[in-house]
Amino acid sequence: MSRSQRSGEFPHFPLHLILLVYVVVTLYPLLWVFTIGFSGQQNLMIVDIPANATFLDRLRAIVPWPAHLSVANFTSVFTDQPFARWLLNSVVIALATTVLGVFLACTSAYAFSRFRFPGRRVGLMSFLVSQMFPGTLMMIPLYIIIVQVLGLGSTYLGLILVYSITAIPFCVWMLKGYFDTIPRELEESALMDGASAAVIFYRIVLPLAKPAVAVTALFSFMTAWNEYIQAATFMDKINMYTAPVGLKFFVGGFQQQWGYFAAGAIVTAIPIVALFLFLQKYLISGLTAGAVKG
Amino acid sequence: MSKEPSHSRRFAAGVVAALVVGVGLSEWVLVRARTQENRSRAERVAVVALSAVTEVAERAGGAGDSLRRAVATIAGQNPGLKAIRVLVLDGLSLEASTASEDRGEKAAPRRLTRDEKPIYDQAQRLRAAVETNRQEGAARKPEIEVAGSAGGGLSLAAPLEKDGSVVGMVALETTAVPTAPRTDWLFPVVVVAGAGAAFWLLAVVMGERRALLALFACLLLMAAMVVMGRHAFTAVSGDRRATESAVAAAVGADEVSAAKALPELAPGEGAKPVHPANWDADVFRRPLGVIGADGKVDEAKFEQGLATGSSKTARVVGTFTVVAIAVLLFVGFGAASRLGATISKHHQAYTYTFPAIFGMVLLVFLPFLYGVALSFTGKSLYTSQVPLSEIWVGVKNFVDILGDFHIAKSTVTGLVWNYQNIYWTLGVTIVWTVTNVAYGVGMGLFLALILNTKGLLLRPIYRVIFVLPWAMPNYITALIWKGMFHQQFGVINQIIQMFGGTPVSWFEKPSTSLFACIATNAWLSVPFMMVICLGALQSISADLYEAARVDGATRWQQFRSITLPSLKPALIPAVILSVIWTFNMFNIIYIVSGGDPDHSTEIMITQAYKFAFEQYRYGYAAAYSMVIFAILLAYGIWQNKVTKATEGI
Amino acid sequence: MNPRHSRLVICMALALLCGVSAVAAPPIELVVWHSYRGGEAAAFEKVVAAYNAAKAGTGVKVTTLPVPYDAFADKITAAVPRGKGPDMFIFAQDRLGGWVEAGKTIEPIDFYVDQATKDRFLTTTVQAMTYHGTIYALPFNYKVITMVYNKKLVTKPPKTTGELVQLAKSLTDAGTGRFGVAYWYSNFYYHAILMNTFGGGAFDASGKPILNCDGNIKSLELLTKWVDKDKFLPAEPSTALVTALFNDGKAAIVFSGPWFLGEIAKGIDVGLAPLPTVDEAGGKPMQPWMTVEGVFIAAGSKNKDAAYDFVKFVTDTPSAKIMAVEGRQTPANKAVYLDPQVVNDPTLRVFRQQVEVAVPMPNLAEMSMMWTPASSAMAAIVQKSATVKDALDHAQKEVVEAVGLLRKRQ
Repeated sequence: MSRSQRSGEFPHFPLHLILLVYVVVTLYPLLWVFTIGFSGQQNLMIVDIPANATFLDRLRAIVPWPAHLSVANFTSVFTDQPFARWLLNSVVIALATTVLGVFLACTSAYAFSRFRFPGRRVGLMSFLVSQMFPGTLMMIPLYIIIVQVLGLGSTYLGLILVYSITAIPFCVWMLKGYFDTIPRELEESALMDGASAAVIFYRIVLPLAKPAVAVTALFSFMTAWNEYIQAATFMDKINMYTAPVGLKFFVGGFQQQWGYFAAGAIVTAIPIVALFLFLQKYLISGLTAGAVKG
Repeated sequence: MSKEPSHSRRFAAGVVAALVVGVGLSEWVLVRARTQENRSRAERVAVVALSAVTEVAERAGGAGDSLRRAVATIAGQNPGLKAIRVLVLDGLSLEASTASEDRGEKAAPRRLTRDEKPIYDQAQRLRAAVETNRQEGAARKPEIEVAGSAGGGLSLAAPLEKDGSVVGMVALETTAVPTAPRTDWLFPVVVVAGAGAAFWLLAVVMGERRALLALFACLLLMAAMVVMGRHAFTAVSGDRRATESAVAAAVGADEVSAAKALPELAPGEGAKPVHPANWDADVFRRPLGVIGADGKVDEAKFEQGLATGSSKTARVVGTFTVVAIAVLLFVGFGAASRLGATISKHHQAYTYTFPAIFGMVLLVFLPFLYGVALSFTGKSLYTSQVPLSEIWVGVKNFVDILGDFHIAKSTVTGLVWNYQNIYWTLGVTIVWTVTNVAYGVGMGLFLALILNTKGLLLRPIYRVIFVLPWAMPNYITALIWKGMFHQQFGVINQIIQMFGGTPVSWFEKPSTSLFACIATNAWLSVPFMMVICLGALQSISADLYEAARVDGATRWQQFRSITLPSLKPALIPAVILSVIWTFNMFNIIYIVSGGDPDHSTEIMITQAYKFAFEQYRYGYAAAYSMVIFAILLAYGIWQNKVTKATEGI
Repeated sequence: MNPRHSRLVICMALALLCGVSAVAAPPIELVVWHSYRGGEAAAFEKVVAAYNAAKAGTGVKVTTLPVPYDAFADKITAAVPRGKGPDMFIFAQDRLGGWVEAGKTIEPIDFYVDQATKDRFLTTTVQAMTYHGTIYALPFNYKVITMVYNKKLVTKPPKTTGELVQLAKSLTDAGTGRFGVAYWYSNFYYHAILMNTFGGGAFDASGKPILNCDGNIKSLELLTKWVDKDKFLPAEPSTALVTALFNDGKAAIVFSGPWFLGEIAKGIDVGLAPLPTVDEAGGKPMQPWMTVEGVFIAAGSKNKDAAYDFVKFVTDTPSAKIMAVEGRQTPANKAVYLDPQVVNDPTLRVFRQQVEVAVPMPNLAEMSMMWTPASSAMAAIVQKSATVKDALDHAQKEVVEAVGLLRKRQ
């Protein structure tokens, strides 16, 4: 099928050109992060230019490349602190957040998309509204609820709950929007055949909504993966910290050890890239003509 | 509904429920007010005694045998005092004590023992309070501390001064506070029963006329509340009167006992009279002035106090009446029963949405309510331990924030903007938000469309690369961007110079500084939008394009009439949410420009942060946050109206 | 074991027996929070281990928890007033006033501290731990800005600003981005080295802001001269830029504190010297601000006596030596600088010399509202968008307003 469409598509060469330009824009700052990480030093970059710099001098100066390659920063990150353990905690928390967040979001998004009930608009709006609260003053009440009332300080569960609830509003809206685009006829015919709501949801709706589920899963994971202030506040045991908390040790107060931070940042980015690679195939698994018509 | 339930029955139920709520609340408040009055009476009497002892102790020079004898004399005179302690900071010395445990080996004078640290700390606290208040010329920190003691009495402390500076502390412990007068439960019950019976009689007369029933129910309810209000006011003003007489009596009695102790002092000090008019004081040791110099209650001042009390009672009862009427109408007009029916009818939908909503209520809306309450208070670092009700300021914070129109002033050099003004900040925030979201959506969609081209080589690789800025912690990438905008060592200026331009000092002007922030955030926001668009593009069936092509539609027409409408359901929520997130995006501005120059590139959230964590004005910061919330809410409602995002297909 | 320690243990045991005679010394678990990492953390762990060893058999055991600096104060504020959190924690004095005013956070320790204990420390470090006449922590270490130079570029560190300017000008070549001196001069904290010298500062003795006082104006006029006329300083300074310049051998002299030493690249030959004297201020030495880390007892601790015993131990000379030699800290303990291993350490020696003229940074809560207006004013002055006087007046007005609004009881 793709072959037949190619005739109507844009020529590919200019597209590649555009993409390449944007690849440079995207990668340039990141290359500096790599440069810092692999420099073995602790300073952020500066460009080094000779007197009366020519065009070429300047060009050479702005290309990110460390003077000496060294993995010293990476080894220090792992040997100074139990960073590997913290990465593991992050993985556990982020995965659990993803599962819980996506599950809760799917069920309520499905209800919001398919049922008409009083309070539906208010409920949907309230998810949106929740994103409007500036979080600056929420920390203390949240601490009281999670640690004092629920007693979930220094537990995975405490953070998982907080993170999934943080991620849910976006996930619900995203999934609801996507569910809306799935034709109802499919479900109605299944209903005629006597399938229950749960079966319809898992057998028909969910498989068709794979791209949206992939997006929400990625989003939930990221929410949990990058957060540090709540993790640092709710966890009172060194073995329960997460990777972002560990990263923060390098650049607090007066001390700014950017080399370690960059190395740590690169390491923490790897699982996200891996997850994205895994989710890619779902992200682009679109509706096929046949499936819709049933 | 097949059969309408009877109006009179519904209203009867409504009246009873409303009466129970309204009268019950009033009664509850009355009981609390009387308990409080009882407690404050005991406190004032105790403060009078404390002031009397302190005056004598200060005259005794705060130390020595004469002090101990004088203190013992006073303690012997006043049966309400369980113990008097006089403490001197220097040398951690307990100078005098009449406490039963301080006998024999532990008799004063002696050094404080290790477990007496709290008393010493209290004395230090009072000394610091007096010094702070003097330094600031204000009454900010309490100079008399009152707390409940273990035996059900009160434990009070006041600073002991010598030559104008605090050298120690006088502490009192009183015997148990008498229990509050029993509040009559019969009265409210009679009110409820009477009003209920009256409604029943009326209902019999009127039958099923709904409007009339509602009217009479309301009138009856109000009458009942007025009766309750008068009842409460009488009780409270009686208590007030009792308090003033008790305090006046205490001043008289303590004057006598102080006079008895005076001969124990040095002859020069003992001859001078005491100053009982100053003894009835507030926690800042400022005389209240209700008890006159003659030891009698100043009637004018007392009446004045009663008048404010009366208007307060009216306000409270008024509020409860409104609540009660709401209950009445809710039940009376049948909303309650309809609510029940709705829940059971749509139980499936509610079950599906309940877990997420419950979580949101617990972890988002409850903390938010706290924020709302905070925004109506003057909570600050200095009032961290004060209950919110005591620092309630109403809408003052909001008036201060929104009523400040000093946006700019004209000077000889032209218009000078006031960058701290909320309207300037709002303007900056809007520019910031619109630019970022527009770029993010535009670029994200553009890249997604290209990457959605069938058969394009290397697509997975492009996709991963474009997602990378999202994957890297933005703390470091934002700093890299800041570095790229450095005047001398930044890449951007190097590139400008490569092509012969002159370097720009990016953070010197508001416009270029904001540009640097926006460039950073725009770069960060593309991946998210691209992923959303990629996902959304998959929902478009290829058949649609096929059909359009058959009809001879151009590529632009296809985009306008197929791609965009199909993207809408997924894209609209993403746009709304990213507007909200960008509006409240704290990190990037904080790291890249830090508000430079002169706060001109602050956005609203960074300002709120500044008020909370640099200026420690939590109430004000909460109000500022509420303004942010209101703006976003207005936007959300508007956007929802335009795009119908909450509607289904 | 050191005999003095064992005596301490006996005293402690006796105190415990007297205090809780009914109960047979239940095990006491104490928790201490700090924000250390790397060598500092290792040294601190060693001190804690030494304490635990000394306490073996008494049931007292101390455990540590590192908390990132940026999250530290918020975590304390969230946890301690609610009865959670540690028994002791280590933090600088800048939050002290705020914690006292907020209440229920830190425990005053005046009651415990006797004269002998006070005399252990440099007087100014104890001052930093004192708020409105009450001591709230024992000082652990101090940090001051001093002069760090690249030995390859500077053979003889300048002793006066006259020498400094002359040397710096000769080492500066703006075209290639080489500078005689680099420091974060547009930052209020770093600028204090000049400001304090001219008798300026942030608050007067009674806690009133004095941003636009004479001393501050004079100090900024000197700075403007350096920036505009002598031109030996880089534009738009920041810690990141200063570190990068120094590591690339492009800045000969840096004014910074001990934290900077951990950021210097290997291969740079580093020398330290006390800050020069200021000719323009009548030859007075530059007076940096001093940040002091103290060991605080949390108000919510259930074992304050035991906690104070630990606080005393970690601030004592043997612990201070471990923190100095292995943790590379500059302890507030005076006696440790008599130890040959410390006194022969060139870094520690310079910091010890520097601290003599340092001024404790104010520990008032109101200090936090000083930074932004002051930094804005300094940026405006350096960029010449306002005169020194106007910029400082503007900042002063802003601070006075903020202070007034906070202090006003609503």
